[in-house]
Amino acid sequence: MAAALVFGLISFGVSDCQAQASTNEPGLPVKRVLMIFNEGKDVPGNIVLEQAVRTELQRACTNRIEFLTEFLDASHFSDKEHFQVFQDYIGKKYAGQKLDLILAFPSRDYRLAGELPKALFPDVPVVFVAVNEMEVPELLHKLGVTGIVQRFDIRGTLGLIMRLQPDTRRIVVIGGVSDVDRATLGRITEASRALEGVEFDFWTNRPAVELPGALKSLPEGTVVLVSTMINDVNGQTFYMSQLVQVVASSASVPVYVLGGWVLGSGAVGGSVVDSEDLGARAAELAVRLLNGANPEKLPIEVVTKGTPMVDWRALERWDIKQSRLPANCVIRYRPHSVWEQHRALIVFVGVVLLAQAITIAALLVQRRQRRRAEQEIQRQRMELMHVARVSTVGQLASALTHELNQPLGAILRNAEAAEIYLQKDQPNLEEIRAILADIRRDDKRAGDVIDRMRTLFKRRSLTSGRLDLRNLVEDTVALVRADAKARQIQLSAQISPQLPAVQGDRVHLQQVLLNLILNGMDAMDAVPKDRRSLVVRVGETEEGTLQVAVSDCGMGIAPDAAGHIFEPFFTTKPDGMGMGLAISRTIIEAHGGNIRVEGNALKGTTFTFTLPRMKSEQAPDGGLPASR
Amino acid sequence: MTATLPRRSGTIFIVDDDLSFLRSVSRLLGAVGYTVQAFASAQEFLDRLVPEMSGCVVADLQMPGMNGLELQDALRRSANPMPVIFLTGQGDIPTTVNAMRSGAEDFLTKRARKEELLAAVERAFERDAQERQQRARSQVLRRRFDELSKRELEVLAHVVQGRMNKQIAANLNINVRTVKLHRTNITRKLGVQSVAELTRLVDEAGLFKAPRDGRLNPS
Repeated sequence: MAAALVFGLISFGVSDCQAQASTNEPGLPVKRVLMIFNEGKDVPGNIVLEQAVRTELQRACTNRIEFLTEFLDASHFSDKEHFQVFQDYIGKKYAGQKLDLILAFPSRDYRLAGELPKALFPDVPVVFVAVNEMEVPELLHKLGVTGIVQRFDIRGTLGLIMRLQPDTRRIVVIGGVSDVDRATLGRITEASRALEGVEFDFWTNRPAVELPGALKSLPEGTVVLVSTMINDVNGQTFYMSQLVQVVASSASVPVYVLGGWVLGSGAVGGSVVDSEDLGARAAELAVRLLNGANPEKLPIEVVTKGTPMVDWRALERWDIKQSRLPANCVIRYRPHSVWEQHRALIVFVGVVLLAQAITIAALLVQRRQRRRAEQEIQRQRMELMHVARVSTVGQLASALTHELNQPLGAILRNAEAAEIYLQKDQPNLEEIRAILADIRRDDKRAGDVIDRMRTLFKRRSLTSGRLDLRNLVEDTVALVRADAKARQIQLSAQISPQLPAVQGDRVHLQQVLLNLILNGMDAMDAVPKDRRSLVVRVGETEEGTLQVAVSDCGMGIAPDAAGHIFEPFFTTKPDGMGMGLAISRTIIEAHGGNIRVEGNALKGTTFTFTLPRMKSEQAPDGGLPASR
Repeated sequence: MTATLPRRSGTIFIVDDDLSFLRSVSRLLGAVGYTVQAFASAQEFLDRLVPEMSGCVVADLQMPGMNGLELQDALRRSANPMPVIFLTGQGDIPTTVNAMRSGAEDFLTKRARKEELLAAVERAFERDAQERQQRARSQVLRRRFDELSKRELEVLAHVVQGRMNKQIAANLNINVRTVKLHRTNITRKLGVQSVAELTRLVDEAGLFKAPRDGRLNPS
């Protein structure tokens, strides 16, 4: 506590009641404040007012304050006798009690602020707060009582009505018949004269029970202004909040009010009495008296200005534009926007999202650049493969020319023979027919050679499809057969029956096989003719992959060369580019297989590559399809 | 001219492993009027080869097993070295030079003009006839040398090289008189008058020469 005190002193540098201390000074004497209300305990306007006064007083005064409250309940007990009983009761109850201040809340008259305290506690300063239209009696001034009289801001409310709803032609005023009610209505009448072109309709003679029915069908261009109705014509008593609730819930047009405390039950608003503000100002006054100010030097304040205040929900309901509201207008019951409720969280989340978005964008850009680079590499790789393929096929050119000349020569010879037959007196048609059949067959042979070659020359990217390995190997072997023959090499293919299909690019795989076969044939140049043989074996491994092995009986590979043989630009041939095997490995690995080299029993070399079988392919023994 | 070639005795022996081409070329040459025999491999042909066959061989250069050049080589060593015309899918220069150096009659691509082929065949036939005649005359001449003794043949070999009697005597380790006696016997048995005549006769008989020397200019 001492620390708190020191803190308080340092922070504010004051120690009287006006210090903004939140805790009351324990060493200072307790101040006792008696609050006397004219009405009952449950009047909404008073509850707000009382609460505001208490809060502000406690906040602003360093002394602890003890509140005492009494209620006259004039609404229910309005006769003179009752007042006397109440006064006697208070007098007896507080006889000999020390009171520091009396806070009076009169409503119908000012007796609570004047006669009563002067009779019972002549030495205790009195502050009053009243919301009504009654004139302040001279007596109060004489007694040295101070306080605040808050008038309804009728002029301001009418102004607000016309501002929010310029099309208004008629204003229905609902009020009661008591003195207070009449005083209010009088002021409304007075104010209405300033408004031209608007008809005022005073519903003072209707009992409150009839109001809902009458309000139900008011035409457009009309608004309702609720005045006070302490008593209706039938003598029933209403709090303003009760009345507004009845009116606003049944009226077919917007309803305006004069008291801020009734806002929230359906009315649009008005230039209203702000109870909280009023309470705070009264508390301020009270604090000054508690601190010893002379009440006679503090004149009674009469406030006529209200606070423009509206109910956001009613604006929405009646489709009244917010842009019409005056700048100082208080808007109540507006749902807090998500932004208002969670500003920090939203900012945080926003920052996180932004950071995330920037990161993602950066990653996307990076990925795009990488993909572009990869595409370029891929394109160059394809180009290189094409060049290598063309050069490989180029090695076969001589053999292929020979292979083409064979059928072409046969065609020529056959044609020449046919000419001779035709020159004879009795041409042998049987023979000529046989010749033509041979020509046709040889033409097809030449065409096949060209077809095999042509696909290898095409410039194309990797495409994947279902491949029959047997067909691929047989075609490739056919392509090199002429070359093998010219080089006196026995070329054979051993292909196991019932091979499953593989997935891959036919031309590229053919390129690999062609490369391996030509390498093998080159390796046998120095081998005696009768020993030159090259075998291509195709089969399935135990793991279920397909395997192609190309075995020569050439000179073999030096052990130190075996490790580098698949590296680019590594070559053992005098005119080799060193790309063939590097490209072969690239192609095979792109197919998900691998390629290796090893020595074989014939002292030559065997190149083996594997390829995964096609995924959807069913096993030849009728097993389950592989899961995809 | 195609269908009316001068008929010659003799056969064209065609050797090619490409059966389609073998059939077509046989067909053409047969239609022109030649007698034709076709073989699918060199070995098959060599197995059937007898000295009585005359004509020429038309062979593919590139064949599995024994190729064209090897066939020509085997033929040249045989008793019936017929001229060989090579046909090839594509003639590259080293192979051509090699073939011609080995005494190939001609070297043609498989798509050569018919006239070239027929001309080559004609030339080959002519050469075969000449060589056959030559071989027959040599044989007759050689029979005359059969009358000479072993020692007389040894002396003759030295004489045709232009050696003096003294040199021959020293070389064969006999005396000069004996050499003179052998020379007299030789001229008498062969019926020649001079050393020049003797030398020509030896030359015509093809004596003391490497057998079947390749001749680039047979005429």
